[in-house]
Amino acid sequence: MFQKTSRRKAEMIKIEHLTKTFNSIKAVDDISLEIEKGEIFGFLGPNGAGKTTTISMISGLLKPDSGKIHVDSMDLESNLRKIKKIMGVVPQDMAFYEELSAKENLLFWGRLQGVSRKNLEERIQSYLEATGLLGREKEPLKKYSGGMKRRINLVIGLIHQPKLLLLDEPTIGIDVQTKLNIFKLIKEASSRGTTILYTTHNLMEAEELCHRIAIMDNGKILALGTLEELIQIVGEKDIIIISGRFSVDQGRKITSLFKEATVLSLKEGKIILSLEASKKMPLLLEEFFRQGISINDVSIKQPNLESVFLKLTGKELRE
Amino acid sequence: MNNIFHLIQKDFKRKWKNPVVILGFLLIPVVFTIIFGIVFGSSEEQTLPQVPILAVDKDKSFLTQFFLTALNQGELKKLVSLKVVEEEEGRRLLDKGKASALMIMPENFTEDVWNHRSAEILLLKNPAEQFLPQIAEEIVDTASLLFSALFSVFNNEVSLIQAFMEKGEFLDRDISTLSIQIKNRLEGIAKFVFPPVISLKQETLSKKKEEAGPSLTVQGYILPAMAIMFLLFICNIVFEDILREKETGTLRRMSVSPLKLSEFIWSKTITSALIGMICTFVLVVLGIVLFSIQWGDLFIVFLIVLCLNIMLAGFISLIYSFIHTERQAGAALSSVIIVMSMLGGSMIPVENFPPLVQQISKITLNYWGLKAFHKAIQRAPFQEMAPILVGMLAAGIVFSVAGSFFLKSNLRKGLIR
Repeated sequence: MFQKTSRRKAEMIKIEHLTKTFNSIKAVDDISLEIEKGEIFGFLGPNGAGKTTTISMISGLLKPDSGKIHVDSMDLESNLRKIKKIMGVVPQDMAFYEELSAKENLLFWGRLQGVSRKNLEERIQSYLEATGLLGREKEPLKKYSGGMKRRINLVIGLIHQPKLLLLDEPTIGIDVQTKLNIFKLIKEASSRGTTILYTTHNLMEAEELCHRIAIMDNGKILALGTLEELIQIVGEKDIIIISGRFSVDQGRKITSLFKEATVLSLKEGKIILSLEASKKMPLLLEEFFRQGISINDVSIKQPNLESVFLKLTGKELRE
Repeated sequence: MNNIFHLIQKDFKRKWKNPVVILGFLLIPVVFTIIFGIVFGSSEEQTLPQVPILAVDKDKSFLTQFFLTALNQGELKKLVSLKVVEEEEGRRLLDKGKASALMIMPENFTEDVWNHRSAEILLLKNPAEQFLPQIAEEIVDTASLLFSALFSVFNNEVSLIQAFMEKGEFLDRDISTLSIQIKNRLEGIAKFVFPPVISLKQETLSKKKEEAGPSLTVQGYILPAMAIMFLLFICNIVFEDILREKETGTLRRMSVSPLKLSEFIWSKTITSALIGMICTFVLVVLGIVLFSIQWGDLFIVFLIVLCLNIMLAGFISLIYSFIHTERQAGAALSSVIIVMSMLGGSMIPVENFPPLVQQISKITLNYWGLKAFHKAIQRAPFQEMAPILVGMLAAGIVFSVAGSFFLKSNLRKGLIR
């Protein structure tokens, strides 16, 4: 049984002061973290936050400008080949051969990872069963639906049962059923002891899957912890988003009247602030109306990952 | 090594499932060979086509009739197709390209000849043709020369004939005098002419086939020439996959597996050489079955196919070191292959080039591949073949090693997105 709160001690990944710059833009800016063995660790952040760059450096595709990466107590730079043997990577792209069948693909990728033919046959059978693709294994992948392809994309990363699995947004553009199937496979791998590094910009996925989450933006880790630990960052306050016809000056003037309020983001027609909604909301709205401002929309977010993200970055994840 | 094997196996499966392009490139040399065979014929001894000559006889006299009849008899009849027409029609037919030349015998031709005045035959040549009008000119020129010589030698006899014709009567006494005179003249000449001091003995090389080995047929030239050109295109198809794998992310995925990038590149080079070898063997068999090409010693042919395909695959791998996109590959590779094939004899026999271009041909892969095949067909001894085979193999190895080195650095750059 998958237990989200289970935590182990030994570390699988240790990152120290990792930095990567592309054309003077810091894609990853001095990040440090440790991921424990068997943990599902989430990198949460919008596009361009630095998640994929971090994963690319951990997988050895990119060389960091500075900093150190250790995987399973081995220095990545000097033990890359050894580390690649214990690592599985599931990229965002559907990286397989569409003209080959599911079985031919899995056989190829498995053999490339050094799995014996006999073990492969057994594993392929069990993974095809787990993904509901048994019976269609001889069809070329180009005949598969998007969801089926996503499942095979994941299984290719799992076929050699790696100690460390790097998943780069593996659920983009798929239906709920496929997403649940993918989650099931990830949780099963975790329960077998596989450490999973999962990047996403989907809050719900991070909440549901990950033991710990690092919130990333602009190449930096803004916060890191369990869901409960992260929610504490917001404290008792709610996140309030007000949209209407007001200028930046008007917004600033109104919020200055509430000393407990923390403005997270303010632009023309939209303000995001952190405030105890149950106590202060009526007064806040009254102030807007008194100024003759018409309000189009008001939303209050209870302390959750989204409100944490809003508080930390001042923007909604979908922006 | 295991990884290379898995990669080759995977690529073969992929090509097997989508063989259309390779089959297309395989069939083109066969089609070309069939077409060239039809156009140029397949027999080793080629005969010249008849030269169509139109003749206008404005004089309509004894001598013009004699001249035209002479052109239309014996060996000349095999060479010339003579048709007497009116001048207007003759010019019209020549304009339409229905003849290689139009010969106009002028008025008073006979009279001029009787009176030892210069008589001119006008020859109009078809400007649209290259060789046949030249042959027509040579034939008419030679006939005119012989005709003039004949008149000089038999000058007295011709005068007698002229007198008879002017009188309009042929008396038995005169004819017997003329006959005796001609006989004496011929006997006098015979001392000098028979037996001839210089004689021509004709012999075609094909009669010595057993000793010199078979000569090169049209198909024996065209099939290997086209095959080498299209083998380069087939190699290109395999290497194009590298760009596709870069694009679809499979190469990135492989790069995070224990696979070495050099193993990936070598797998492509070996796959390319193997597919090339299979295609060449298919073409060799088709050459035997469809065109009766006698390739020579099969072991030598195997060595040629092996060395040739290693060289071609290595060369394409090296070219791909400088290519980053499919568009670049399409433009650059096609240009390189076509220019190299043209210079190397895949389109035009190298012997037809000026000396400088013939020297340039020697730096093309097509030249050496073609030379090896032609020597095999002509049953050249192994000592003659060995340097070509070693050269092709060495070039292949050098190209492949250099290609692996440069292509690796090219691909590394492409993996970062």
